[in-house]
Order: sequence, then C-alpha cells, then structure tokens
Amino acid sequence: MNKIERKEVVFFGKITAGITHEIKNVLAIIQESSGLMEDILAVTEDDTFSNKDKFKKSLNRILGQIQRGIDITTRLNRFSHSPDQGLVSVDLNEISGQMILLASRFARLKNVVLEFSPSDPPLIIRTDPVALEMALFESIEIILVLITSGGKIMLSPRKIQNKYVLGVGYENTIPLDRDIFEDISSSERWKSLQETMTYLGGTAKTFDSSPEIFLHLPEFIDV
Amino acid sequence: MDQMKILLVDDEHEFVTTLAERLELRGMNVSIATEGEEALGFLDTNRPQVVVLDVMMPGLGGLEVLERIKAIDPKIQVILLTGHGATKDGIRGMQLGAFDYLIKPIDIDELIKKLNEAVKNII
Repeated sequence: MNKIERKEVVFFGKITAGITHEIKNVLAIIQESSGLMEDILAVTEDDTFSNKDKFKKSLNRILGQIQRGIDITTRLNRFSHSPDQGLVSVDLNEISGQMILLASRFARLKNVVLEFSPSDPPLIIRTDPVALEMALFESIEIILVLITSGGKIMLSPRKIQNKYVLGVGYENTIPLDRDIFEDISSSERWKSLQETMTYLGGTAKTFDSSPEIFLHLPEFIDV
Repeated sequence: MDQMKILLVDDEHEFVTTLAERLELRGMNVSIATEGEEALGFLDTNRPQVVVLDVMMPGLGGLEVLERIKAIDPKIQVILLTGHGATKDGIRGMQLGAFDYLIKPIDIDELIKKLNEAVKNII
C-alpha cells in the first residue's frame, strides 16, 4: 500500500469507528427504554393489562434485535480499528469470527451459512489485518459467486507442517460440481486474491480433492 | 437499609434519564449530569457513594473528571462506561482510582452487581 492509500484506509476506519460509536449510543438508549418498559411491566398487575403477554413478546423481540445490533456494531467497530497500527499480532480465530459476522449478509443472499472452526491453541501471526480481512472476504466471495444457493462456508485456521493456513471451505448436502471449483483459478477475483496474498507474503491455493481455498500465511511479514 | 446514592454522568441525556428511572425503580437514589463540569458542581453540595461516569464526553473527558472526583473525595467510588475498542481507557481509569469499568451498552444486572460491590468497597 502506498502512503495515500494507507491514509485513505485509516481515514475510512476512523469515520466508521466514530459512526459505530454513535450507533451504539442509539442502541444503548433503545435498550434502556425497552428495559424500563420491561421493569414497569413486571410491576403491573396482570388483570389491569389485558395484552400483557403480547406486549412482553414484542419487548423480547426488540431486546433480541438490540443484541443483534450490538454484536454487529461491535464487530464493525473492531474492523474499523484494523488500520490503526499497520502491522499487528493477529489471532486467526478472532479474525475468522469477525469475518463470519461481517460477511454474513453477503452469504445470506445465497442462503449460505458462514461458520468457523477455531484452532486450539489459537494461532497468532504478525500481519496487516486489513489485507488479511480482505483476503478472507475475497475467498468467501469467490465461493459465493461459484455456487447456486445453500450450503455452508467454513473458515478454519490451522497449522499444517508448521505453516499457518486459513481454510475457506464449502460444504453442501448436494456435492459441488468439481468443474465449477476448478474454474476458480481463471477468474478475475482469484487474481485479485493472489495479489492480496502476495502483499501478505503468502499464497492462495486450491486442491482437486476438496472444495476449499487455502490461504497460506507467513508467521511474520515485513511490508 | 439506606438508599444507595448514585450519580450518573453521560452526555447522552436520553440514556442517562432512562437508566436513572430504572435504578430508581430498584430503590436507588439517583442524580444525573450530562457534562463533566456539571458532575463536579454537583459534588459541591452532595456526596454520592458511586459515580457512574462515561469516558467519552465532549468538554471535560471522563478520565479528567475521575481524577478530580478522587481529589475531592477519594471515598467516592467511580465506575467508568467505555465503548468497545476503548478498553485502554478503562484500564487507565482503574490506574487512576476507578473501581471498575463496563462496556456500553451495559447490562442492568451487571451494573447493579458492580454498584453493590463498589458500595461494599467504601471504607
């Protein structure tokens, strides 16, 4: 990344962080207001409020959505802080968990569920978090473009022969046509992913044996 | 049992008034301030047991208000409210004498638990 690109990313992150903070304030007010309604409801006699159950059900729905909003804005806030320090130590479990939430909307449009299988112990590498998030997202997007609908994309950080690998695999009850997955390497998106991986000092690979993209990452990069 | 005396300080007026109502429903004596200066002015004539203080406020920031509260009366317990990504502020606040910190949006049960612990901490 050149200097101006870096500044743009940092600027974008700063604005997004500020806005997520504001959204959280809005959620906090809605949360307290619905909490207050819940408190009042708890001290209201049943016979004086004929629709108490319906009201309670509706309040629970609001509280559920507030929690959903909090989870999304929390992830977005963390994501927006990614460019703050350039190269940092990144937990591959943490970044995978973050990405499944941030990319869930894109997956949902194809009825795909995003999941991740954490590694134990956690795998920590020193890298550029923005570029790594971009590589993960590009991998998810490549699979989403290839498939028709349904199934599951699984992110799995692991260490294979002392190499750090982030697997982005696809699972479905109806097996994926191998030819479709083999077309990956000729797509524009694949070239873009390779560029990102080169910047990260790693590579992206696929194997005929499984519908999975393997992001091979170095333990340290020096960009 | 004596009513717990609390001062809530947050620049989000709607947030602070609603939270105050919820705590009052639980039998607490709650006052509010929406600025750091206002909170410090309140201490001229009042002594809450616990101050729940937002870190990110326009004007006088939460950490500066915390330092001044501790200078006025070290017995007053302070619970900080921070945002995600601002955990450092919470830790810094504890080094400056805060009892604890919570991440916004807060859970009312967790807040009440911390308030009770804070009051027990008063010597």
